[in-house]
Amino acid sequence: MKEIDIPIETSAAKRRTNPLARVFDELVRFCRSRSMFMLHYCTGCGAIELPPAMTSRFDMERLGIQPMVTPRQADILLITGYVSIKTLKRVILTYEQMGSPKYVIGICSCTVNGGMYWQSYATAKQLDQYLPVDLYIAGCMPRPEAVLEGMRKLMDRIRSGEADGWEDYYRRYDWYLGNQQHLFGDDWQTPADVIGEASHYDLAGPGTEGEHTRLLQQCQKPLEPQQTFFQIGGSLEKKGESHE
Amino acid sequence: MRPENYQAISHPPSNEYELNFGPNHPGIEGNYALKVKLHGDVVVAARADGGYLHRGFEKLMEGRLWIQNIALVPRICVPDPVPMEVCYSMAVEVLNDMEVPERAQWLRVLQLELSRIAAHLFTFGGHAATTGMYTTMYWGVADRDQILDLFEEWTGGRVYHIYNIPGGVRRDMPAGFLDRVSCTMDYIESRLPDYDNLFFTNQVFVDRARDTGPMNQQQALEWGVTGPNLRATGLAFDVRRDDPYLVYDQIDFDIPTEAPGDAWARTLVRRQELKQSIHIVRQVVEKLPSVSGPVRTQIPNPLAWNVPAGETYTRVESSKGELGYYVVSDGGDKPHRVHVRGPSSMHAVQVLEQLAVGARLEDVAQIMFSLDACPPEVDR
Ligand code: SF4
Repeated sequence: MKEIDIPIETSAAKRRTNPLARVFDELVRFCRSRSMFMLHYCTGCGAIELPPAMTSRFDMERLGIQPMVTPRQADILLITGYVSIKTLKRVILTYEQMGSPKYVIGICSCTVNGGMYWQSYATAKQLDQYLPVDLYIAGCMPRPEAVLEGMRKLMDRIRSGEADGWEDYYRRYDWYLGNQQHLFGDDWQTPADVIGEASHYDLAGPGTEGEHTRLLQQCQKPLEPQQTFFQIGGSLEKKGESHE
Repeated sequence: MRPENYQAISHPPSNEYELNFGPNHPGIEGNYALKVKLHGDVVVAARADGGYLHRGFEKLMEGRLWIQNIALVPRICVPDPVPMEVCYSMAVEVLNDMEVPERAQWLRVLQLELSRIAAHLFTFGGHAATTGMYTTMYWGVADRDQILDLFEEWTGGRVYHIYNIPGGVRRDMPAGFLDRVSCTMDYIESRLPDYDNLFFTNQVFVDRARDTGPMNQQQALEWGVTGPNLRATGLAFDVRRDDPYLVYDQIDFDIPTEAPGDAWARTLVRRQELKQSIHIVRQVVEKLPSVSGPVRTQIPNPLAWNVPAGETYTRVESSKGELGYYVVSDGGDKPHRVHVRGPSSMHAVQVLEQLAVGARLEDVAQIMFSLDACPPEVDR
């Protein structure tokens, strides 16, 4: 799990030189920032401030942000509070299902450094070791106004092209995967083909593949038909699936 | 997963299939999951799958000082945090043989009831949303915010107040606060007819919630159901009346019950409790100016506070049901063992698993909301 030093292109360097293309890019980013669908995963207590922020009183919709129910159509993944290890697996699965470009917001101190639960055996302390986080909203818990302000910040960052965490995930996939394997065990795998996606977006770099992805490829086997959770006859005996 | 590892999976032909309902599902309350086995769209078996919110509270509390735990306990139940603080403080007071000043007791009652109103507004808003009536949810959340504003002025925190400590409460109310409480109560009471028109007498709600997830009184008692869910089966049991704590024995209130025990009855009981809570808050507002005195007793240096050895169980009536704390002290500066008896862990696990069987898939979310289960408290 050592930090790999990869030159990350700055947003200025990414600008295309053709003036027409640049105008087009600006326009695309502007439109993107003004219409965002948000998937909020209620991972922890911070989720309780989301309903006030979304409903009549603070009304997030006036910023063009609406909740969305499926990951495939969502642009923002909102992590609202501490992530237990069991939840983190689902969060990563959800993130990898979202279509790029995608942004992650970590709400609450617990996603930053573990917060109240710094000594808990069950929570992951630092979200950005496992997923690229574009914006943190700290506080225990942040008020709806802070959530809205955070959203405004994210819109600005998308407009200026600074919110590029999803590119980082493809560029340094090996590092993220290493952290995930460290937490979940060496046989951790997800259904998404991240390496294939990285080359599709032309973002595969020296950090995309490495020792951890090699480990992943070794342990990847064709998916077995899933063992049933219920025994035949409706008995509720649990079989096959591990508890995490 | 690399493409070469994909492979078609064949299943034997069947009408039955399994579905993961949650943890990230708009119909589910919080971060909680149910695995359901369906025949067509009728549930034939359900199994609760919790643990997504587990933080190991009971272990964490053993590692912190008695006073530090006050900041930890409200996090156990997010929509209704005040009963957690009060119940834990009461347990520590029992162990210490400590008297709580009368004014502090009235302030605690005021806080508990305001929190109950906020939690009920939130819950039936959620129940309405699962039957497709989002307006009620928007209204409920906005009205709940009025109470959060009161809390913010009073304690500094919107959701978590950390206001009750062993021995009393942290500080007195700001000047003129009771007037604002009365105003807010008038406002919420004036909204109740609107809610009735919009939601409680709405034919969509009545048709969908009637006979959905029914349980009878005996089942409820066997499964350990408490609170509004038990009262919806016709049994008037309420810790506030049957085992009075604080000053509830000086307060006049009714215990609403309904007989059918289905989702409709459970939500209707909450609607009537809202009215009773407003009634209680009015009585407290009337009484408080005549009760003077300190709001907390002297406690020893909290950083070196050795609570005498012993064990105790205290209970309060939270908006979800009976909430209890079993606390053991070995004479040290930290608890030896704390166990939380949360009402939701019964409602969301064994009761929900039973009630979901036979319901249609679209009613499962409704049953969960009508049970008012609180996932963080299930997992702790
Ligand atoms: S920062 Fe506070 S409010 Fe947010 S998840 Fe952690 S404990 Fe809960």
